[in-house]
Amino acid sequence: MPARSFSYQDKVLLLQHGSTELLALAQRRGALLHKLLSGTNIFEQDLHRPHGRLHHADWLKLLQNCQQQVSSPELPFLLGDALLNSSYISLCKSLQYARNLRQALTQLYYFRHQLFPGIFAKAYQTQQQLVIELHPALGFANQHTFMLATVFSLLVSLLKQQLGTLTGVTIRLQQDVPENLLQQQFYWGCTVSFNQYCDSLSIPLPLCYQTFTDADPVKFRAAKRTCLQLNRVLSPQRGLLECIYTLQQRALPVLLTQQHVADALGLSGSSLKRQLRQHHTNFANLIDQVRRDAARKVLQQGNCSNRQLAMMLGYSDEHNFRRAFKRWTGFIPSDYKSVFNFN
Amino acid sequence: MWRQHRYKMLLSALLLLSGLLLAVNTGEAKAGNQFDWLDVLGEGTTLLVACGWLGLIISSRPTGRVTEWLYYGSLLLVYSYFLDLLDEFIRYPDHIRLMSWLESLPAPVGMLVLTYGLVGWHREQRAINRQLRGRELYLRDHQLIDPLTQLYGMEYLKAVLQREIELHQSQQSSLSMLVLDINNFSGFNRRCGMAAGDAYLGRLSELLTNQLRHSDVICRYAGDRFIALLPATALPQAQIMAQHLRQQLAQLTSHNDEPELTIQALAVQQSCAKTALQSADKALAQAKAATTLELQRT
Repeated sequence: MPARSFSYQDKVLLLQHGSTELLALAQRRGALLHKLLSGTNIFEQDLHRPHGRLHHADWLKLLQNCQQQVSSPELPFLLGDALLNSSYISLCKSLQYARNLRQALTQLYYFRHQLFPGIFAKAYQTQQQLVIELHPALGFANQHTFMLATVFSLLVSLLKQQLGTLTGVTIRLQQDVPENLLQQQFYWGCTVSFNQYCDSLSIPLPLCYQTFTDADPVKFRAAKRTCLQLNRVLSPQRGLLECIYTLQQRALPVLLTQQHVADALGLSGSSLKRQLRQHHTNFANLIDQVRRDAARKVLQQGNCSNRQLAMMLGYSDEHNFRRAFKRWTGFIPSDYKSVFNFN
Repeated sequence: MWRQHRYKMLLSALLLLSGLLLAVNTGEAKAGNQFDWLDVLGEGTTLLVACGWLGLIISSRPTGRVTEWLYYGSLLLVYSYFLDLLDEFIRYPDHIRLMSWLESLPAPVGMLVLTYGLVGWHREQRAINRQLRGRELYLRDHQLIDPLTQLYGMEYLKAVLQREIELHQSQQSSLSMLVLDINNFSGFNRRCGMAAGDAYLGRLSELLTNQLRHSDVICRYAGDRFIALLPATALPQAQIMAQHLRQQLAQLTSHNDEPELTIQALAVQQSCAKTALQSADKALAQAKAATTLELQRT
């Protein structure tokens, strides 16, 4: 875990890894470049420099401009697809040459700071499925849906291209059911459910080990080498929310205090508080989220009594845990378990 | 517009001709040195401008009450100015007052009639503006046009389909639909890049607009799927159109490795836009399965 975490003003995104593709898509849909770039610190001549960078504040502004200028609901879905097939991004190339989905996902997780530093994934396995939960590593505010759609589109496109099937793949989203489901149905073509507790993608285990059609160990190694070289330019950094999430997750059943986390991150307590406010969240919320995700994960994976769970999550007694769980999900733990196993 | 006003034009020509004949009969020509050229210039210009108004009214307005008022008002003005111009060249005997009455009376009457017509026009324009504003709001509200292909999007298709279904059911005529899908478009995107894919979609939508009739509504349903509504068209006719489209598009796109299209014609018999679109999806899936099966056999 790197000591420093990035925030909105740190230039951790490569222009070539997303912005150029997004701008090209919007321009082909009739938007003007100077309007798309207005309000950001990006210059037109920097767009094609090989290692040109931008920070998240600019990226969010860019996303907002694109949606204002172009009324095209397909944009995030196309962006995910375009990123996957971009010839500039060696990480995406390496994903396609991977042996199987497992290797591709490991690769994506390891080099995620090169493509989506703003989103972090937590994966776990149940009896039949691999579940990948996606969390924001910094506050995306109203661009959250767009970013998630992009990441999911990339993953789904990879599955479609390399495995040719999406049987059993499910996407769960936190957002409300949108008015118009057509884009999701059309571009993803798998089961999508809304109003869930977490944004996640579950993939049946057999699919994870099925060989990719374009699997090529030599090309994979070459692409991986390029990714490693890129690491020298763009060192791995994690978002603030991801740092806190991981710290707390490792520390369970002990609950971290705000001062503890601030010390670990090399920040003062007040500046941590201020930064969290910028991310539209607060410390208690984050800790709650970690416990919620952990509880859900354990309940899905196996048999664990409420008492054990309460101990694992740092609750003083079973009763408190049950009440918290009901607040998170609307079910008491045993009901949740039976609902999940029934499905 | 001219054709709607044939009788009016004939009438005006007759009226002016009768004025000329009357003037020639009652008066006698002045000698060349008695002409007041400044008067001739002024009155001639007024006459020409009034004639210009008549022409504009005829060429821009449909037949109707307001048009009649505008036209006859201007005609009276033209008549009066015409006689005004004639008396520069013709001298009338002093005891005949008819010509001077004919010269001065129609002008104020014409003005009044014209003004009444203009008021009517103003009201009409206000009503039109109101209606247009309502429609524009609808367009802005839903942002219905797909920016890439400049075709209508799914929202518009749903609204129009529902309206057309109701309309066709009440008139008991048949409504058909063409569903068009590009085979393996994501593969094409992957091979040639997304820019080429977008350019292809743009070109295809232009071709579709050119090949289909003006009355057909063409929409980009989603991604690489297009739907054309064919009002007042029976299924056999729609199938002929689909066949025609297949041939035309094959000729127009055969020059490089562009993807093939699946085009399916079907009759809309459902009473709800949603189910109609679902059945369209199903028909398309069947057609696609059939083509892949054929490919496997060969």
